[in-house]
Amino acid sequence: MDVFTFLIDGLGTAMQPMNLMFALVGVMLGTAVGVMPGIGPALTVALLLPVSLSFGATGSMIMFAGIYYGGMYGGAISSILLNTPGETASIMTALEGNRMARRGVGGKALGAAAFGSFFGGMVGTLGLALVAPFMVMVALSFGTAEYFALMVLSFMTVSAAFGGSMSRGLTALFIGLTIGLVGTDKLTGQVRLAFGVPEMSDNISIAIVAVGLFAIGETMYLASQHINHKTKAQAVSGSVWLNWEDIKRCIKPYMRGAGLGFLFGPLPTGGAEIPTFLSYTTEKKLAKGQARKDFDEGRGAIEGVAGPEAANNASAAGTLIPLLTLGLPTSATAAMMLAGFQQYGLQPGPLLFTNSADLVWGLVASLFIANLMLVVLNVPLIGIWVRLLTIPRPWLYAGILTFATLGIVGAQGSAFALILLLGFGLIGFVMRRFGYPLAPALVGAILGPLAEEQLRRGLMINRGDWSFLVTSNIALTIYAIAFLSVFGPRLWALGRRQLVARRQES
Amino acid sequence: MSREDNKAAGETRLSPAETEPEIRLYGEDETGNGTGLRDLAGLVIAASLFGLALLIYSDAASYPVRRSYAQFGPEIFPFIIAAGIVVLACITAVTAWRGGFEARDKLNLAGLGWIVAAICAEILMLYSGTGFILASTVLFALAARAFGQTTHLLNFAIGATMSTLLFLLFRYALGLALPNGPLERAIDQLLR
Repeated sequence: MDVFTFLIDGLGTAMQPMNLMFALVGVMLGTAVGVMPGIGPALTVALLLPVSLSFGATGSMIMFAGIYYGGMYGGAISSILLNTPGETASIMTALEGNRMARRGVGGKALGAAAFGSFFGGMVGTLGLALVAPFMVMVALSFGTAEYFALMVLSFMTVSAAFGGSMSRGLTALFIGLTIGLVGTDKLTGQVRLAFGVPEMSDNISIAIVAVGLFAIGETMYLASQHINHKTKAQAVSGSVWLNWEDIKRCIKPYMRGAGLGFLFGPLPTGGAEIPTFLSYTTEKKLAKGQARKDFDEGRGAIEGVAGPEAANNASAAGTLIPLLTLGLPTSATAAMMLAGFQQYGLQPGPLLFTNSADLVWGLVASLFIANLMLVVLNVPLIGIWVRLLTIPRPWLYAGILTFATLGIVGAQGSAFALILLLGFGLIGFVMRRFGYPLAPALVGAILGPLAEEQLRRGLMINRGDWSFLVTSNIALTIYAIAFLSVFGPRLWALGRRQLVARRQES
Repeated sequence: MSREDNKAAGETRLSPAETEPEIRLYGEDETGNGTGLRDLAGLVIAASLFGLALLIYSDAASYPVRRSYAQFGPEIFPFIIAAGIVVLACITAVTAWRGGFEARDKLNLAGLGWIVAAICAEILMLYSGTGFILASTVLFALAARAFGQTTHLLNFAIGATMSTLLFLLFRYALGLALPNGPLERAIDQLLR
């Protein structure tokens, strides 16, 4: 069967009324949280992790993917109207978008963002459907050594890419690995780091870790700041519909942005930050005529909104390639989705495509549907999303806290889970305050036990000989990629710096 | 992620001049924004990391010795992790000593305290059997207070409404088991 047969089968899954509803709920929720500064898609998926247990695997994954896509678009709204990016992926959108809003054509910026998201998402999802099967074919030949190498790759890149400091990224990773240790060892039954607490001798649910670090930690962090949470939004001005002139200006940025986003999404460089930045600078460099004037005079150029918005949705799709085919999360939201899979006992990777083909292709097909829903619903509904910005923040954050604890209590059925939640919340708070990235901790907690299993299985087969780790060419290649993706950018920066220094001398 | 700090603060103002994202090198101040001042809190973090490593090591050292084909048992991974944490603790200590951590906003200890108190109150109430709705209401009201909302009666009213709605949604629509108290049992009886 080729890709399109799979996709049509997937469409059948995705068109089931329940799954359509999950996609709808996902994109609505995603947009809503994307709009609100302080809550990103990663946090939302974390909040819904415990609750989603009663939705079924396919339904919750469809919903999570919808949240991811919707969040990318929702972020544009607060970027344009408030100049406060709802999440990192839309920082670049704020630059030109908010200027457009201030000169009275915010509607157009929102329209360009909506159609850009649609275009980027479609291109990215199509790419995902075409590329994923090839990745699966490669990955099917992997053994223990290769899988261990892949996890090392994931550990290294997630620690290096998120945030700025490598040592803090690694510290976060090791905290995560420690969390992964707690509980009963799968291979021997040895109970580790439980200190006689019965609830801890089962493994700690990843939902508690995710909600604690992301939701509770975030709430504590926000409360610990001296901030007046009231910022004034620019009213939506002008029509959101683009005229022919605007479309002509947007079409090339859309294509370039989508291409960049899709290329960078699967790379372990931390999601949408880099492609949106590259897209923005490309548009600025290439601008001519009216666009040049708009960029230079600070009037806000529509190209500067169109490109990055296409890029961030395309990168969201690109991120799903390594997640689904290899089980490697390259962004915080992808890490949350990985936790979602694990909750159902599913391990993303090549086997997922053979064992749960209907789930995978249903998910891919529903991404197309979610994308369509986004553009159809959101352009007319922009007024409602904007009104969300007026919810008083104290109640909003208190509501998030209530929802977070409720989900954990409901899913775990014990109040002890809340004590753990408070503990992880405090850890998350300290990490946020001192600039430690949270995603590596989550990835460590999720992948750590899997990496340990691969390592010890390999050691068992090879009778305690560690050299099996480095005898396979594929594994060595993966280590090389890990090394390059961590040290490459820094070596490049070093080289460029010397070049600049030399030029200044002469 | 750490760049999200700004966005979370809710008042990011982006400078129009798009600067190239600075790629940092090791050895120098890693994030490029260090205070240059000795950081006591950073040293405390380093010390806690040392403590964590010691804890992992002592736990792993207590496992009974098993002989297997692998030559290594459940203690090997904890040992590797503990070793890694020791290295990172050293780096953290040096970073803190040299002032490599960024300047932090002034800590609003009261706000943080209210949040912690809110969660502790919920834990205590759930353990003492008051049930989910009451506990969540208190949680909501205290948390709203943490963000400076001092309209206490209104906070409680909104919290109670929201908790009740969530309880109904989760109990009857999603079938989750939430801790029961007198109030929840009464609702159950009414709806039966």
